[in-house]
Amino acid sequence: MRDPLRFAASARPKRSTTLERTMTERASLTIADGCATILLRRAEARNALDCDTIAALRRCIDAAAAECNSKRSAIRSIVLAGEGKCFCAGMDLKGVLHDAVRMGDMLRGLSSALLALRQLPVPTIARVQGAAIGGGCGLAVVCDFAITHPEAKLGYPEVDLGVCPAVVAPWLVRRIGAGPARAMLLAGGTMGGEEAAARGLVTRCVPAADLDAEVATLAARLATGGANALACTKRMLNELDGSLDEKIAAEAAELSARVIAGPEAQASLTRLYAPKPQGGPAAHPPR
Amino acid sequence: MPPASDRMTTNEQPLIISQRAGRLLTITLNDPRRRNALGTALFDQLERALDLATAPEVSDPPSVIVLGATGSAFCAGFDLEACVQDAALLPTFVDRLGRLTARIRALPAVVVARVQGAALAGGCALVMSCDIVHASADATFGYPVHRIGVSPAVNVPVLLATAGLGAARRIALSGEIITARQAESLGMVQSVHADERTLHAAVAALAESLCAKGPHALRTTKAWLNQVDGTDAAGFLGAAATRAVQATIDVCRTAESRSMLESFWQQRRSRA
Repeated sequence: MRDPLRFAASARPKRSTTLERTMTERASLTIADGCATILLRRAEARNALDCDTIAALRRCIDAAAAECNSKRSAIRSIVLAGEGKCFCAGMDLKGVLHDAVRMGDMLRGLSSALLALRQLPVPTIARVQGAAIGGGCGLAVVCDFAITHPEAKLGYPEVDLGVCPAVVAPWLVRRIGAGPARAMLLAGGTMGGEEAAARGLVTRCVPAADLDAEVATLAARLATGGANALACTKRMLNELDGSLDEKIAAEAAELSARVIAGPEAQASLTRLYAPKPQGGPAAHPPR
Repeated sequence: MPPASDRMTTNEQPLIISQRAGRLLTITLNDPRRRNALGTALFDQLERALDLATAPEVSDPPSVIVLGATGSAFCAGFDLEACVQDAALLPTFVDRLGRLTARIRALPAVVVARVQGAALAGGCALVMSCDIVHASADATFGYPVHRIGVSPAVNVPVLLATAGLGAARRIALSGEIITARQAESLGMVQSVHADERTLHAAVAALAESLCAKGPHALRTTKAWLNQVDGTDAAGFLGAAATRAVQATIDVCRTAESRSMLESFWQQRRSRA
């Protein structure tokens, strides 16, 4: 039996009535039956976000936006998913840890990709299996909807590593409100899928075997609404909740980069990325 | 409860108990007989405890502060008896509360409120200025101050930013007293515990885990959240907070407020 948590190529819709565009790199965009899927494709590293993955994700977001804005677009929703066992294990800072310039580029790239993801003109759904940690949780929270399963681990353990979750903070505040966001980000750690749903981090938590069906049901329901009405509603929400604030997104990336360059974060991240006796490097902290 | 050894041995019981353990500072309101009502002495001692912990010459300022209370109530609000006796006190208390709540929000330490029993009016304001709120199931929250002709405007800037626009409007205008569970659903409380024992255990565990985190990351994250949600000097806690304090003081000085406060106090005494 197929592992229901593993998002494989076979899980993507087969019947393509519009067009299919695949980028053979660390993220791909597929369009079928009015639903676009942006897929993170770095399963061997649990889709951890390094420079290349962020750049590939950004290209997919831009391509999806262009497609949505074309006159004959049939796209009614966009699913953001991760190939393999995990949605996204977070930022992969290993390669840029001691390179302040590339570190800054990477955080600016993530912050601006989140902004672009938010501004996609159709509703977005995060399909969260396995893990959505730190920046990965940020991706899920920026989407209009996020669906996960009880065994998944979600959250923001940045402060546990001496890192400041500045880039994801404004999006979490918009999602669950300032008081709860403050408590969640300062306390750090991760939580299971059910708690994530109870605390508003995701919109629904369903059994792992039902994850794809739930995403499909939601996408189908969104497709029954007026396309212009949905686009207008989303645009209005983005304007009113501060989602279009480029200044705060830019400032967040600089702040986050500054904290990572500091001695406290450098020490704990160096420990985290040190070669392990067995297995590969952990992309997110053990909890 | 703090250990007996930390209490003063003189006859004069301190109204604030301050205990330092590593990166953690625990500040306990300790006037249970008066339900920790905010009066001149309690304000003085609370401000002094914060002064001592955050003075520039302190080489190892705390990175985590737990704000708790002894007795059946966390804090029942202003010392109204003193306000009835001296009309000048109420505006003074409002001003001091405004400064104190802004100061707690600006502290370079994560502040955890540990709330049992009533946290009302000024007590609720103190709690809302904290970063993380844990409460026992018997805790209550709200600003029932319209009945004494006073406005909760002084705390509206922090309440708006913490609980959101809808909840803040409901709580500040209705004056209703809500349970810990209701406060949790409005985003004012993060965790509700069955009783005081489990509350203390949970807050101790949280404080320990916070103390283990990088203090620089915590400090920076708190300051960034203050900027994002507007509870910094450039946002709600700048000019808007000054206006809110002044508006509340203006209300306190009206004849309506004075007479409502006095009749409220007479009723309470006749019931006692």
